[in-house]
Amino acid sequence: MLELTPLEWEALLLSLRVATLSVVVSLPFGLFIAWLLARRDFAGKILLDGLVHLPLVVPPVVVGYLLLLLFGRQGPLGAWLYDHLGITLAFNWKGAALAAAVMAFPLMVRAMRLSLEAVDRKLESAARTLGAGRLSVFVTITLPLMWPGLLTAAILGFARSLGEFGATITFVSNIPGETRTLPLALYSLIQSPDGEAGALRLTVIAVVLALAALAASELLARRIKRRLEG
Amino acid sequence: MIWRGLLILTLLLWGPTAAAGQQQVTIFAAASTQPALSKLAERFEQGEDEEIGLRLVFAATSTLAKQIAAGAPADLFLAASEDWMDYLARRDLLAPGSRRNLLGNRLALIAPANGAAAPPFDWSRPQSLLALGRLALGDPDHVPAGIYAKAALETLGVWPDLAPSSARTANVRAALALVERKEVGAAIVYRSDAQGRGDVVTLGLVPSQLHPPIRYPLAIVAGRDSAAVRRAYDFLSGPKARAVFAEAGFQPLANGG
Repeated sequence: MLELTPLEWEALLLSLRVATLSVVVSLPFGLFIAWLLARRDFAGKILLDGLVHLPLVVPPVVVGYLLLLLFGRQGPLGAWLYDHLGITLAFNWKGAALAAAVMAFPLMVRAMRLSLEAVDRKLESAARTLGAGRLSVFVTITLPLMWPGLLTAAILGFARSLGEFGATITFVSNIPGETRTLPLALYSLIQSPDGEAGALRLTVIAVVLALAALAASELLARRIKRRLEG
Repeated sequence: MIWRGLLILTLLLWGPTAAAGQQQVTIFAAASTQPALSKLAERFEQGEDEEIGLRLVFAATSTLAKQIAAGAPADLFLAASEDWMDYLARRDLLAPGSRRNLLGNRLALIAPANGAAAPPFDWSRPQSLLALGRLALGDPDHVPAGIYAKAALETLGVWPDLAPSSARTANVRAALALVERKEVGAAIVYRSDAQGRGDVVTLGLVPSQLHPPIRYPLAIVAGRDSAAVRRAYDFLSGPKARAVFAEAGFQPLANGG
């Protein structure tokens, strides 16, 4: 087993932290958007759908730059957040999580929307006729049925967040211990003389991490399947 | 299982980030100062001031200046060009009176070492630069080392011919890395970059009259002046730091040069 240096631990833990916050914050929002897109008809639905998918198709640098314009010190949202809540996002790890969340959002919404559309609506109607309220039906019937979709969304979002590079480096820079996640640390090493060995080690760590995430998702999916069937 | 998961989640999200209890001074510094400044930071933390930690962020001066303008949490800025420091000064982002020119440097033409002694480059025949193969340099659109290099090549009249076969890098250290990996035939970097690198040979220093003088201004970022920041600032401009910078191939400038 390879020994990790303090710098590698720092980047690894930071990456996990950023990806976790990214997923935790975007799951509820994503679920709401997925529900809107799957179950509701309203004016501007195509526009919303397009907006949600935008990070998937524009260059990540564009996303990072827009985030900087919006959430930077002089940005309208950034200034408001700072003045009213004392929150700064630009150039710290929460900003890195925001960038990762925006980039991962379309993947998460897609996964949840698909599983939501696959839920048998007759089951929901039955629960309604038995007197359950809308919210209660959603929490006790719909959510458990779309559980595999939620899990896929979380894991996809987590994996995408771990790998986020372009929007992150544009929005929050490359500050050791604050915003230097695994991909950014790798980038720095590739650019510096003497970085060869370190870059290889980080590559190995990144691959191991990705494989671990995929294996975990597979195991969880099997377990859920067994529980749903059993 | 769910509760254990939630516990791990909470720790990940709200656990301590950096070394707690230590004051952190964040220095944004030109990529070319990396080896010297890293050495200095080690000395500072071990000998001078144990309760102050220096956090070093290296990138091209241009990248860092833009980030400081956008609100990045830098306390000190060591730039490789006066122009980019002016950029921040125009935006009132420097603590008044804190700006001083700390260092000078020279440009060097380097190539991968191949064992044989390389003949020194003859600057009176600049066309032979084209024969060296692809030339790496900092992106001359914004990276100071690239801007200086391009100015010199323009003075020599070879820039239009060289530009298409150049490799533009995000900072000057990346140009050095390309030469060390033998991916390019030559590069123009700082003398300090080439110093002490076994895998590269210096074909010659670029005559300094070919480009504007290379200056490294140091300044405290507006609103970040504190006792700890001052200590780091004084240390970087003090005699011990000068010695380390000189040893690394820079020219320490006297009293703000």
